[in-house]
Amino acid sequence: MLTEGSNLTLRREARIDRSSRTVIALLTARKSIRVGAGWGVVFGLYVATQALAYATSYKTPAARQILVDEFAHNTGISALVGPANQIGTVPGYTAWKCLAVLAIIGAVWGILTSTKMTRGEEDAGRWELLLVGQVTRRGAAQQALLGLCAGGFALFVSTALITAAVGRSSKVGIGTGGAIYFALSVASGAIMFLAVGSLCSQLSTSRRQAASFASAILGVSYALRMIADSGSNLAWLRWVTPLGWIEELQPLTSPRPIAFVPIVGLVIVMAVATVNLAGRRDLGAGILADRSTISSIRQLPSNPLGLALYLSRSALIAWAVSIAAYGLLLGSIAKSGGKIITSSPSLRSVFARLGVSGAEAYLSVALLIMSVALTFVAVSQVAVARKEESRGQLDNLLVQPFSRSSWLGGRIALGVVAIVMGGLLAGIATWTGAVSDHAHVNLLSMLGAGLNVAVPALVVFGFGVFALTIAPRYVNVVTYGLLVWFFLVEIVGGGVRINHWILDLSAFHQMAAAPATPIDWTTNAIMAAIAMLTAGLGVKLFTLRDLKGE
Amino acid sequence: MTTPAIETFDLRKDFGSTRALRGLNLQVNEGEVVGCLGPNGAGKTTLIRLLLGLLIPTAGRAEIFGMDSRRQTVQAHRRLAYVPGEASLWPTLSGAETLHLLGRVHGHVDEDYRVTLIDRFGLDVTKRVRALSKGNRQKLILVAALMTRADVLILDEPTSGLDPLMEQAFRLCVHEAKERGQSVLLSSHILSEVEALCDRIGILRSGELVEMGTMTQMRHLSALTVEATFEGNVPDVTRIAGVSMVEVQGSRVRCQVRGSIEPLLQVFASTGVIELLSREPSLEELFLSHYGSPTAEVANADRGQ
Ligand SMILES: Nc1ncnc2c1ncn2[C@@H]1O[C@H](COP(=O)(O)OP(=O)(O)OP(=O)(O)O)[C@@H](O)[C@H]1O
Ligand SMILES: [Mg+2]
Repeated sequence: MLTEGSNLTLRREARIDRSSRTVIALLTARKSIRVGAGWGVVFGLYVATQALAYATSYKTPAARQILVDEFAHNTGISALVGPANQIGTVPGYTAWKCLAVLAIIGAVWGILTSTKMTRGEEDAGRWELLLVGQVTRRGAAQQALLGLCAGGFALFVSTALITAAVGRSSKVGIGTGGAIYFALSVASGAIMFLAVGSLCSQLSTSRRQAASFASAILGVSYALRMIADSGSNLAWLRWVTPLGWIEELQPLTSPRPIAFVPIVGLVIVMAVATVNLAGRRDLGAGILADRSTISSIRQLPSNPLGLALYLSRSALIAWAVSIAAYGLLLGSIAKSGGKIITSSPSLRSVFARLGVSGAEAYLSVALLIMSVALTFVAVSQVAVARKEESRGQLDNLLVQPFSRSSWLGGRIALGVVAIVMGGLLAGIATWTGAVSDHAHVNLLSMLGAGLNVAVPALVVFGFGVFALTIAPRYVNVVTYGLLVWFFLVEIVGGGVRINHWILDLSAFHQMAAAPATPIDWTTNAIMAAIAMLTAGLGVKLFTLRDLKGE
Repeated sequence: MTTPAIETFDLRKDFGSTRALRGLNLQVNEGEVVGCLGPNGAGKTTLIRLLLGLLIPTAGRAEIFGMDSRRQTVQAHRRLAYVPGEASLWPTLSGAETLHLLGRVHGHVDEDYRVTLIDRFGLDVTKRVRALSKGNRQKLILVAALMTRADVLILDEPTSGLDPLMEQAFRLCVHEAKERGQSVLLSSHILSEVEALCDRIGILRSGELVEMGTMTQMRHLSALTVEATFEGNVPDVTRIAGVSMVEVQGSRVRCQVRGSIEPLLQVFASTGVIELLSREPSLEELFLSHYGSPTAEVANADRGQ
């Protein structure tokens, strides 16, 4: 009896023992698989709509040839989303339209997920509880990497399943092997940046810092790929950037699996470095640690809004630098990009009727990307405000003679200023780049175009603030949901004739393609007003609810 | 009569189906130090966060010097300072910067007292908050609140993580505050602290104020502890009216008596008692009787395993 009992305990202990060695992997895997599979579905649906839209809209070889003539040798477009190889075929077009875009979204997801699951969990103090068990620091990092790997795999699987399913349609004609290879190429972006994010998490002292590091790496690799694809003799640069490797995989056209070598190599190097660094540093500290004492009071702002600005300064500067850099880059190839757009007779006549130059036509496409970047600024501003509340830092302020509306009002002002300044900066930077390329672009019209692309971001921000007040725990779902919806509807909407009202509801669709087409200031004013009203309503409602932690 | 520093009127708070506070009426007068005790989850923090306007009451209201904690939050907060049991501050700011910021937002700081406090608590204000230990972080929040010399201090487990020396320093601060006529609401699990500092004590249990009064009043209301040693066998005292919590150890018995002690004494007298000890309950016993029988709970928890 007694021995039986103690056997039982022993067995139970053994089980706990083993499970404690995998608990971090399981926790990380569970969360990242759920989100990764979800994004995989979004990716798959995007691929499906692109393929079907092309197959139904461009049925005849003649129609497809027009597309080839317009885009196949357009360096401007090629710099933005990669070269348009074989876009006369459904698979070729699908690969061109989806690969770069989805790889970048996947990379952003990878950065956010890996920094959150590793550094974020550590910052929140949750790892401590797990690390006092049987797990070493190295072991914990290995487990987290495994868990993240599962998330990347989930993204690959759901993308592959949907692509393969749609590929079976005779109109599309993508083989299962091709679909798998394509999905793997798309998922490579996410997987590489899951690894990059994990390494950055080891190097920095906070999750935010880790995410900024990793984003900077993504930014540089996009810029390098852009230069490589802009028709210069720097095409070899494609081989030094992760996003270039993905392009070199050439899925659905002329596959080159050799490009998996640097991809796998990068992931291995990052993973090994992550595990090694994790074993060497203190929990909660970074390899690039900063001073722990400050002998004098720095000239910090001593009001809450100033503090918010001060604390988010590095993130805002990083955004500003990336927007300026892309503006300059995009602008500096405006002329060549525009020339090729206007070399197509059909497009030329359209633009001639509108009275805009080819460069302006090209820039209007380029600015759409800025619009997405600005929307990310909006999303992050809302997320930062929510975090101040959920962490309890807001408590310290609200127990002072400082009202909730002052706090949220300040946050709204900060967000709006950041978005509007970002828009203007996009305009100025693009203009500067274009002028350096001797393109004929008007500064005022570029400033207008910059403001124009800021409007969708304002809408997302307004609704984000509203969500912050009525459903604080679902803020990210709402803001990212809006972003994905606006973005996908805009891009998909270009190809398919979908329901009118869905298009009308998308803020990106409402945005005119400035500077190519005249800006519709009335619509913009209405959208901005809706955004501000929603945010204002949020301020009102914020005084009616409890403060909520995580 | 002057307006009370803190007053609640049928204050109720539900979290979904959890009833955290069920119609609480509490008063803290000017210059008074009131302690708030209760088991985990009794609703102490909920009460305090309602007073601060961080939570919105389901029903009823709370006032600070007659100002509604929801509608006149800012005015009310000019007159109060708050110390949570654990605060999440801005990790990259130094202690001095944190004090500077919070002082500016509050609007009024007694500079000399701040220096005294930093000295008294031995706080290193040059360290970043991230680099402070838990106790030192707690000292920082204490200094931030006390330096304002606000009329009401609302303290929720303010000494959690402090060492005994610092606990002494804290008590000194509360005495000083009382001398200056400041009011204090103190929620704590440290009974000796509450006993030493508070004029009145309230006991909260499952969202209700089950007891409120001075130490003396509460002692009178509650049971007397009686210990007796017998020559021979211990008589059965469990059936006697008013007797509870009977513990027998060999020839000794310990029990609590509510109301008249006479029937018990009669039984003792007829059994040959050799030693009799009776005393008022300690604060601990008093509260244990209110918190519910811990032994029973432990037993239940064991069975649950
Ligand atoms: N945000 C919340 N959501 C749901 N329930 C809550 C929330 N905050 C508190 N509660 C519940 O309200 C009750 C009272 O909690 P409260 O934090 O006030 O207890 P407490 O007396 O401060 O306990 P402790 O001594 O552990 O600090 C508990 O049952 C708790 O679970
Ligand atoms: Mg509490």
